[in-house]
Amino acid sequence: MLEVKNLKASIVGKEILSGLNLSVAAGEVHAIMGPNGSGKSTLAQVIAGQTDYEVTDGSVEFLGKDLLELETEERAREGIFLGFQYPVEIPGVNNAYLLKAAVNAKRKHHGLSEIDAFEFLKLAREKMAMLGMDQSFLNRGVNEGFSGGEKKRNEILQMAMLEPLLAILDETDSGLDIDALKAVANGVNSLRDPERAIVLVTHYQRLLDYIEPDYVHVLSGGRIVRSGDKSLALELEERGYEWVREAANA
Amino acid sequence: MKATGLNQDLLRAAVEEFPADEFSAARSSAVAKLAGVGFPTVGDEDWKYTNLGLAAEISNGWLKTIIANHGAIAEQSNSEQVAMICQEIDAHWIIIQNGIIASDSLAELDGQAGSGISLSKLEFADKDDADDDAMSLFNVALLRDGLRITARANATTDKPIGILLADSPSSAVTQTRIVIDVGDNAHLRVVEYNLSVDPGRQFTNSVVQANLASGATVDHVRIQNRADDHVGVNKVTVNLDRDASYNHNSFDLGGALTRNDVITKIAGKGAAVNLNGLYLATGTQHIDNHTSILHLVGPSTSEEEYRGILAGSSQCVFNGKVIVSPGADGTDSRQSNHNLLLSDRAEIDTKPELEIYADDVKCAHGATVGQLDETALFYLRTRGLGMDEARKMITRAFAAGTLSTLAVTECQDHLAKVLDQRLDNLIGDGQ
Ligand SMILES: Nc1ncnc2c1ncn2[C@@H]1O[C@H](COP(=O)(O)OP(=O)(O)O)[C@@H](O)[C@H]1O
Ligand SMILES: [Mg+2]
Repeated sequence: MLEVKNLKASIVGKEILSGLNLSVAAGEVHAIMGPNGSGKSTLAQVIAGQTDYEVTDGSVEFLGKDLLELETEERAREGIFLGFQYPVEIPGVNNAYLLKAAVNAKRKHHGLSEIDAFEFLKLAREKMAMLGMDQSFLNRGVNEGFSGGEKKRNEILQMAMLEPLLAILDETDSGLDIDALKAVANGVNSLRDPERAIVLVTHYQRLLDYIEPDYVHVLSGGRIVRSGDKSLALELEERGYEWVREAANA
Repeated sequence: MKATGLNQDLLRAAVEEFPADEFSAARSSAVAKLAGVGFPTVGDEDWKYTNLGLAAEISNGWLKTIIANHGAIAEQSNSEQVAMICQEIDAHWIIIQNGIIASDSLAELDGQAGSGISLSKLEFADKDDADDDAMSLFNVALLRDGLRITARANATTDKPIGILLADSPSSAVTQTRIVIDVGDNAHLRVVEYNLSVDPGRQFTNSVVQANLASGATVDHVRIQNRADDHVGVNKVTVNLDRDASYNHNSFDLGGALTRNDVITKIAGKGAAVNLNGLYLATGTQHIDNHTSILHLVGPSTSEEEYRGILAGSSQCVFNGKVIVSPGADGTDSRQSNHNLLLSDRAEIDTKPELEIYADDVKCAHGATVGQLDETALFYLRTRGLGMDEARKMITRAFAAGTLSTLAVTECQDHLAKVLDQRLDNLIGDGQ
């Protein structure tokens, strides 16, 4: 589904990704771990189409299409969802309004009719109940004044409504208490599907207790330096990131 | 370069051609007072950014036509837009065409708009005597008709009174004059709609005076949706007695050049002024909002928020004057002006002007000028929204704040519609 080959990306002239390779197939859950500043968010943002980063080499294919040729919104409509590490507050833009516009943008792209108001509300309420979110969030500004945990739940709500083929969740677990973590994990797990792939970007292995990955990768120095199954996450937890860094340099 | 000024000889000659009526004396007196004064120029501090050269040019041309036609003013027919607005905003509508009140609309409404509310042709009484600034004098100098709305003590209306200024270049220069007297504890809601029924060059100059007795409330929504070539100068003067409140929402959407002066005077304790404005400009539009709030006594409050969205090479001005007189202790005044620039060629000049002569006073003000937040745009696009849709969503949210304070909710749907249409133009012209 997703093929990242020798990806190099830089920001303000500084190279952050230096030849990254990653292959994700439908039905899989991948976890990308790595120390702070190793380029995890950069990878997620480049896949979503953030043009602040300059791609200097390599390729990214999604379902056989050259992703780097597509605008951000086209990538989204094709089925890519990015859960932001820092969800953006957009004062005055109604949460329900955005959700509905997003759902309809995608439906339109796929030649479907717009969702009607009743159907939309029913769906949104269902997903919110699953995530333990109060209905009142629908009528608030997008992430406006939300706590850290509320913002992360809101990302998952958007994902659940959009039903992406590839979800990249950037540190969706950070700043969550245990109840929120369970709710978020529950939301993600409900989306696990043979048709769908999920990439979890995380700093800690805690999230992986709730969402079991098929593969774990370690990102360091702008490259994936080690890949394995979920036991790699446990090993990392025990031995720390220094261990992979040393291993990579060795 | 020599700026065009008002030709006083033409003015005098044209006014002499006007048929005699109840305004004759007032006109002559205004012409005399205006002699040697003329239109303000950019040399005047208050008109630094707004050049009335075009207004003078249109005026001089029109005055010649009036002289040639011996004072006759072109008639004007009704338009579909007028009918649509009257239908979309549920109000008791009075139509004023090029400054002349459609008399059937007045006759129908007098006594119908609510008990204690009367509508009549203006008789130019001494107490309404014009301010002696140039544009007020010009208004009286060419006055043909005027509207008076009187609300007796405790009167209220079931729905707002709508005043539709349906102007057309068939008369290239138009004066409108409206006087509103509101008695003790009466509550009047007014929608003033400034419309161009035909495209083309026109200069309109309007004056609204409102006098609010003790405990009176006036909600005044002003919607300016003029044609591209329109030049408009609008002045609103409000006097507030004890515990009175004046709530103003203005929406400036169209016009080539618009200048609004809203001047409020708080003369009674406990009175409150709320001024809210939204201006949307694109192309080479110029919109200048000058507001003035005079706290003569305290405790009293004023709250003001103007927002602007500027695209293309438009230019807007916000000048918010707040004067707290000696002894007006307990004055609480807040002012803000926020601007969103969709293009780097657009220009905003924003300036608070506070003059505080009392001690126990709270005065806060703030102005911001910003662009669309790139991170927010990216976020919306990752949700599948196209660039224009994302821009529009954020821009609309910026504008929506001014709708939340709307005192006359009957306008809400129509406003949302015309704002949306206008925003589409701005977004299209944005980059
Ligand atoms: N906008 C930016 N300007 C300059 N440097 C940046 C910017 N964004 C990220 N970086 C740098 O890129 C590197 C990788 O950052 P990031 O991808 O956020 O790492 P991670 O998500 O793994 O913590 C860091 O050194 C960070 O300082
Ligand atoms: Mg990160």
